[in-house]
Amino acid sequence: MVEIGLAFNLLLEGIVFFGIYVIFTLSLNFQYGYTGIFNLGLYLPILAGALVVGYLPGRLAMMIYGVKGLDYVTDNSSIMVLLKGRLQNDPLTSIGILIVTLIVAFTVCWLLGYVTGYPALKLPADYMALFMLCLAESLRIIGMQTMEIAGGPFGITTLNPFWWLGSLAYFGLMALIIGFTAMICLVYYVICRSPFGRLMKSIRENGLTAECVGKDVASIKRKVMALSFGVLGIGGVMHGLNLGVVIAYGYTRVDFSYWPWLMLVVGGSGNNLGVFLGTLALVLMRQIMINGKPIFQPFLPFDMLWLEPLLLAIMLMVTLVLRPQGIVPEKPSHVKAPNSEGGNLQSQKQPA
Amino acid sequence: MIIPSAVILSMVISSFLLSLLAMGFTLQYITMSVPNLAYGTMAFFSAYITVTVVVLGYSPYVAVPFAFVLGSIASFLLYKFIAFLRDRGMPVIGLMLSTLVFDLAIYALMNIYAELIPHYLHAYIGAFNLMESDFEIAGIPGILIVSAATTSMLVLLFQLILTKTKFGIAMRAVMESHSLAIVHGVNTELVLSVSWFFVGGIAGISGSLYPIWFYVDPWAGATMFISIFAACVVGGLRSIYGSLLGGFLIAVSQNLISFTLASVFGPALWAYSSIWSILIAALVVLKMPEGISGFITSRK
Amino acid sequence: MDLKVEQLSKRFGAFYALRDVSLEVPTGKIVLLIGPNGSGKSTLINCVSGVYKPDGGTVWLDGIDLEKKKPHEILRLGMGRSFQIPSPFKALTVAENLLVCGQNHPGEGLFTSMLEKRWRRREDELIRKMLGILRAVDLQDKADTLAGELSGGQLKLLEIGRLLMLDAKLMLLDEPIGGVNPVLAHKILSQIQNIRDDFKVGFLTVEHRLDIILRYVDYVYALSQGKMIFQGPPNEVVNSKEVYDVYLGGHGS
Repeated sequence: MVEIGLAFNLLLEGIVFFGIYVIFTLSLNFQYGYTGIFNLGLYLPILAGALVVGYLPGRLAMMIYGVKGLDYVTDNSSIMVLLKGRLQNDPLTSIGILIVTLIVAFTVCWLLGYVTGYPALKLPADYMALFMLCLAESLRIIGMQTMEIAGGPFGITTLNPFWWLGSLAYFGLMALIIGFTAMICLVYYVICRSPFGRLMKSIRENGLTAECVGKDVASIKRKVMALSFGVLGIGGVMHGLNLGVVIAYGYTRVDFSYWPWLMLVVGGSGNNLGVFLGTLALVLMRQIMINGKPIFQPFLPFDMLWLEPLLLAIMLMVTLVLRPQGIVPEKPSHVKAPNSEGGNLQSQKQPA
Repeated sequence: MIIPSAVILSMVISSFLLSLLAMGFTLQYITMSVPNLAYGTMAFFSAYITVTVVVLGYSPYVAVPFAFVLGSIASFLLYKFIAFLRDRGMPVIGLMLSTLVFDLAIYALMNIYAELIPHYLHAYIGAFNLMESDFEIAGIPGILIVSAATTSMLVLLFQLILTKTKFGIAMRAVMESHSLAIVHGVNTELVLSVSWFFVGGIAGISGSLYPIWFYVDPWAGATMFISIFAACVVGGLRSIYGSLLGGFLIAVSQNLISFTLASVFGPALWAYSSIWSILIAALVVLKMPEGISGFITSRK
Repeated sequence: MDLKVEQLSKRFGAFYALRDVSLEVPTGKIVLLIGPNGSGKSTLINCVSGVYKPDGGTVWLDGIDLEKKKPHEILRLGMGRSFQIPSPFKALTVAENLLVCGQNHPGEGLFTSMLEKRWRRREDELIRKMLGILRAVDLQDKADTLAGELSGGQLKLLEIGRLLMLDAKLMLLDEPIGGVNPVLAHKILSQIQNIRDDFKVGFLTVEHRLDIILRYVDYVYALSQGKMIFQGPPNEVVNSKEVYDVYLGGHGS
């Protein structure tokens, strides 16, 4: 019975993890697969979102309940106990704080994407990728060093917006994350299927020609960055809530940039189905590694976790050499003829 | 404002090391049109060789030849991998992802090694600084002499090779245009293999010297990568001497800004050093997208 | 819509690709620009369309100074261009290549794209227009083909098709019949004449193949080594000594 419970828990964790990473990889696909924006610093908005969820909800709750005289960071554990006690019986405030946090995270990351677009898009594509990586790493340094934001090197715990559900709190969180994942999938799907989707692809294919047919390429790219950054910020919030802590140290380029990139490359960029498959494949791999740890770890003199990046390297190498287009290569999308004319177009519309 | 000698030393030493690293990065970029993501990791892996050597009781400089060998081999292998993919028609972005393979692999190996040292050598290594194992001549730290000498000699050597030797001329041809060089009968494969071999070795040397003055932790490679990149951007993306200049500019400004802020807000501000370099780079890019060297060329 | 180029200069380093070049495209006229390879024709097109920044001189579009205008702004003002080497969006179908040239499409706004109701009407409009254009350039069977799979001649037709979608009042054509068989070439040029007559659209076209194109144009300019060496009606070009000297052994007319 315990084994089933354990297995069930692992399955749930896996699903949540999958959902969060789908948010990351779909956003990456939106930037790179569709628009051709090469960004290696994906974790810039993810970390920003996580920092928001580390910084804001607790302090908001403190303000609302009039908790004074304590430092949020140094007295964090005592404050958490206090707040949990209050929030357990206050669903309205819990949800209210959650909504405010999400709005703030989205807005902050949206602006971040828009503003960094100005210098970033002036650089050639490959240097832009690195520039974003450096910005992301810089935020990580800020997060690690600055106590006031999210506990600096020690991290900080986050509020669970579903404490009022009692023992079902984690399920509430899960539902939230899956719900948001589904919503974000829908949003991206709708946008990519619309004329904006082919606009993005035209910019990816040939920016100069797109410019010459009247598209303000730089502005459109900034908008793409803004939206995807905003969504990544929400993903960061979800991640922080799921983990229960925010430790800036943990938001490394490997876990939050190279992983999504690998998922994109393995799955096949430029189409959302590929993204799903790639994410699934790697999430499965990680779950296997986590489950295998208790079995194999005693035999290794170092932390088994370090085998993961090695495995990733091998997977990436194999994919690049054997199947660079990924599991699901991009398929052309078809235009639906308007109802009043039969037209010579196939009337079947295929999702991108 | 009186700047303490320790800060000035930091400025000077990091200038020498950073410009060397920046030049190497740019050289790799110019020759293969691919920025090497693994560069920071490749260089700073060698810092662990230095610390191993010190733990075993030797002078840190003993690590230098080992660092050279490891760095050059890693760089050579990476070149071969990139060339292999390029010959199969992989676009630049795919090639960049291939450097990611090495970044991941070396990152993993480095951290595994860092965990093995306590296990086998019974010494704990988290963040380390090997200043105490350095020698001194008349009160001047050995690392200052070594870094200055290394950088100056290598830059001079590089200039000599580039202008006075057949190999150097071949290298300039390859940097100018790969396909044209092939047409002119240059053995581009040899030129590139050798160039990348030496750049990797020199990067390894720079990384191995770094902990003799500065603090190094497993993230040093990623942190330094920011400054290296900033130096290259400021100097000019396709200019090796631009990177040399960029390295000095970034190292000096980074330290000056950190010192100024630390004097006002406290020593904790030193941890944010690298951030100033990327901010400076961002500002430079807004006004001079081609960097300083590009700006100079366009004025002619 | 008319185009006026005054004393345009462009250099690359110490080399002057264009030096004090002036020309005019009056409303609804087809103007031809000729010259040997390297004379600066493509540079001129690039300067006029905002791709290059000129080092001297001015470009006026309907009295508006085009200095500092980016290509997409120039298109919005009403001047479009084609490319010497066709530059389709390879991963898009022929139909999409045309549709993406539609202007003022709510579907191309980030937020409005999420509401199909807002853009469906314009999209249907554009689809109808696109189908008509495909028929006009004889590409209707290729509507769902990826542009990357078209032949050279078909790509040229696609370029023309894209220009038709753009609703431009003045078009810059860089070698519209380059590498195209004579039958197709005449078809393309008749199309261009039709557009001029039906919509009063002006053209500035760069071409080499005088044997085919001269009969379709209203006025001719000739460039050599960055300088204008001749201008006049088509029948005078054939007799011009300057043009002949510069084209030594170039074209058998």
